[in-house]
Parts: sequence; C-alpha cells; structure tokens
Amino acid sequence: MKTLVVIREKDYEWLYPVFPGVHPLLVPVCNKPYAEFLIDFAILAGSNAIRFVSDGQLGGLEHYCENGSRWGIEISYASMLGDEDLETVIDKNRRYCSADRILCISGFVFIRYNKQHDYKKLIASLSPGEFISCSHGSLSLLGNTGNIDNSAEKPELSLVGLDSTGVYYRLSVEILKCGSSPYVLPGYSSEADCHIGRNVVMSKSTEIRKPVIIGNNVQLLAGSVVGPDSVIGSNVIIDRESTIIGSIVLDNTYIGENLDLENRIAAGNILIEPESGASLAMEDPHLLTGIKKRGGGGTVFQTFVHLFVAVLLITIMLVPFALLFPILRLQGKWHESSNTYYTSSSGKTLTLTTVAIDRSGPLSALALALSLDRFALLFRVLGGQLAIIGSQPVAATPGSRMVLERMTGYRAGVFSYAEAEEWPVNGGDTAIVELFYAAHGTPLQDVVMTFKAFFNRIHE
Amino acid sequence: MKFHVETLSGKNIGIAELSGRLDAENSAELQTSFALWQKQAVFFVFDCINLDFVDSSGLGAIVACLRKALEHNGDLRLAALGPKVSMVFDLTKAKKLFLIFPDTPGAIQSFGTGGAS
Repeated sequence: MKTLVVIREKDYEWLYPVFPGVHPLLVPVCNKPYAEFLIDFAILAGSNAIRFVSDGQLGGLEHYCENGSRWGIEISYASMLGDEDLETVIDKNRRYCSADRILCISGFVFIRYNKQHDYKKLIASLSPGEFISCSHGSLSLLGNTGNIDNSAEKPELSLVGLDSTGVYYRLSVEILKCGSSPYVLPGYSSEADCHIGRNVVMSKSTEIRKPVIIGNNVQLLAGSVVGPDSVIGSNVIIDRESTIIGSIVLDNTYIGENLDLENRIAAGNILIEPESGASLAMEDPHLLTGIKKRGGGGTVFQTFVHLFVAVLLITIMLVPFALLFPILRLQGKWHESSNTYYTSSSGKTLTLTTVAIDRSGPLSALALALSLDRFALLFRVLGGQLAIIGSQPVAATPGSRMVLERMTGYRAGVFSYAEAEEWPVNGGDTAIVELFYAAHGTPLQDVVMTFKAFFNRIHE
Repeated sequence: MKFHVETLSGKNIGIAELSGRLDAENSAELQTSFALWQKQAVFFVFDCINLDFVDSSGLGAIVACLRKALEHNGDLRLAALGPKVSMVFDLTKAKKLFLIFPDTPGAIQSFGTGGAS
C-alpha cells in the first residue's frame, strides 16, 4: 500500500508568521515534526511509500525527510495547483496511485492514533472511499476492494483540524498527557510522562514537574521550574528562577531570568497567547530571545588554538612518521581508505583518507601509540577543514544527515572528546559526551582534551 | 501622555492615559511627569487602553511610579491592559505588584471601595 498526503498551502499558511523560519509541515508537536506523525501513521497502516503533494513550497520538508530511508519508507514529493480538487490531484499522480490500495490523507489534519493498535487490519477491512473526516480534511482509501475483512476491530482513530494556535497548543498538551503510549516521542523516557533529550544540563535546584518533554542541548539553570504540561524544545536555555508551566518553548529560545511563562508558546523572541493567538515580538534580549546556532567554524581564537596544537603535534610526529610509515607500509600493516564525512552540523562534507594499522608487532604498537594514523589528518586542521578535537567524523550518508541536523555543535575532529574521556568510541552515549564538550568547552580546554586523547592512545 | 484629575469618587485621582510605546526612549519622561502629577494627587490610574507596547525599561518606569505613589501613602492602579502589554506583565510577574482592572471607571471606583482586581 502507498500513502498520498495532499495538503494545500492555504490550510497551513497561518503558521508562517506564528513560527517564522520553520516549514509548517515541520512544526514541532511535542518536539516531533508534524510530518513525522503522518509518516508514523502511514507506516502503521502498512504503507511502504508516501508522497507529499502541496501547492506550497516543499523544499524544507524535502530537505528534512529526503527519500525517507531514515524511516525505511520511500518518500516522494509532488506539486499541485491550489484550485485543483482531490480527484485531479490523484489523476495527476495516477502512476504513483497505480498500487493496489492508496491511503489518501487530505487536509492539514492531525491523526489521533495509537501505535499499540493494528491499523493494517483496519485498512484491510475498509471499502474504498472516505472512512473518516472532519471539517478540515479526511482519510480515504482508493484502489480495488481486495479481500475485505469486515470482522476486524475498529481501533481508535480521529482527526483534528490544525487551524489555530489554540488547537496546536491543546493538541500538544493532549499528546504530552498521553505520553509515549499512543505515539513515538523523542527523548529518553524512564517514566511514562517524562521525556528528556540529549545533553540536557540541569541545576541541582531545578524542579521538573511531570508531564514534561525536554529536547536536546537544553540548559535549566538554578531555581528554574519546568512543568507540569510543558514542552521544551532543543537548544533552549531557561535562566535562573524562571517558571515554565503549561507552556511550549520552541527550539532555539532563551527564557530570561526570573520570568513566569504560564500557558504560553515561546518561539525565539515571539511570545504567543495560544487561545487568542495574540503574539508579541519581545525586543528585550534579556527577557526572551532567539538563540542562533553556533557556526561550525568556532571562534577565531579557538581556530588559532587548534592550529597551534596541530603544528605542535606535526612537529612531534614528523620524525617517527618518516621512520615508521615506510616500514609499516612495506610490511603491509598500513591500510588506507577514503570516505566522505560530514565536517560540521551544517552538512559540509570532506573526503578523508583514514588509516588503519594492524595491531601486531612492536612497530605497529609504537605507531598507534604515537597516533601516526592521524598524522595526515593534522594537515586538515591547518586547512581549517577539521578541528583538532571534536566529534568522531560521521560518514556522509542520507541517514546520518538527518541525525546530524539534530547534533547542534557537531564538528569533526582529528581526535574526539570521547577518546579523551575514554568513552567507547562506538558507544551509544558517545555523541552526548562529544556534544557536551562542543557546547560547553573552551579553546584552552580543547588543548587539555587533545593531549588527554593523545596520551590515552599511548596507554591503550 | 494625557493627564487629568478625577474627583468623582470623593478622592483626587490622577488619571494618566498612556499611549503608543513605552520603552527606553520615553520611560524617563513618564517618571519625570509622574513627579509633577504627584503634586496634584496621591492616587493614580494608568489607563493603558491605547498602550501598544511596553519593554523592560517601560515596565521599570511603571513600577518606579508605583513605588513613588506608595511612598506618599498613595497607590497606582492599572486599567485596560491590551493583550500584548498584559503578556509582558504576566511574563515578568509584574502583574502581582499591581491591581489591574478591565477598564478605567472600574479602577477609579476601586479607590472608593478598596476593591481588588
């Protein structure tokens, strides 16, 4: 089965001024982009392909979802004219719609579903035609009747038309209260109604009141109170003594000191009263402001420090490299391979030649202890393409691109912070360690961590 | 900023109509004017129906006016806060400092009855 999602721009254009800079189909609902809920439902219903059709720009959505390999589903995109009816759209996409059955999601609607239920059976039990609708859209089935199984149970399913900030706010709170039972929500969750993302720094005096969802790279400073019924996005700072109750704080937002956010939506420097839709762009940066993502290049001083350390290490390694490299190469213990890696969270790529040295014999051990396998990479630091210390380079694949976008502060390094801290390089928490230092490290700390990583390899 | 003194409730109540923006540019002017208004009254109502925007310095000026009024055994009450201005008062917890009324007559009346928001 395939899914066709038809959403007209007029249905979601109200979101452009509310959440500027975010594609309306990627507006986070409990820290999960809206489109991902549609994808999840399509997968639960048994689809192996989804096509998003809209008369608006789909570039942002396409950039985020790409070909859908992240979800193991094929995602494609198509355009339509604003005045075209559903039949015309289906006719224009008849090649895609030539599959046995097509689930058609029409309108800017949120589908209330429960991942515990079997929607494949429900879909199999339905005759072609519209099977659920609301004033803002519908779900319908196209294609042949197949073997209809009328005995199937009718699992919970309903639609919510997303047409105002009030509906958006209430829906977010509703999902938050349901927890992870009906939906897949991002973040770690050891308790049903508390989801916490990566690299969340909390003061000892911070109070978390459930239900709450907190994104990645969040700082909750001393005396802050978060929750109940609150959603904190990624890359957010809640300053001292501030209280967030029943509110949604979207990504990249700074909430100043001693503030009281109750039943509001904060998006950058915009404060929204959800029910009336009244919004206020705050002009005081110490009250409420947007947080700009730090560029991949770091500061000038940091770059200079990295350059200096690279020159120092090249000087130390030059003679051992000149002596050991030819011998190990002749012995067949020096293996080089080329691969493309992401160098920063902005998606810049670089083809690197990485070296693997066989761990046999004293010369190999010496070469590894002196990190000679990283020698060539040090010259990339001189060229400003790599950091001397940062994250372990992530191979450039469509799947990793999606992960990378969430890794604010990622910068590939010759050595990694995880190596300095002796974390298993392939362990699940490695990224947390690396991103913590990327967010909180200083240039001088980078020097210490680089030599720590260097000496740790000697002791390996 | 228009100012007049209301005597309907048996007390001299200074009514100041704030309008437009109250920010770093004109917050000092409010404080200067308030010092002059204090010569005519000790009880005040700030009518905010035409006030579109308040920033932290504007808010600071209003709080300073409240403090000066209280120092002279008077009071300052606010009336008709618009949704945007109200959001700033909510966010900064300043709402807890003031008695706020939906309209100016209600605020004036409150001085006679000692009513709260």
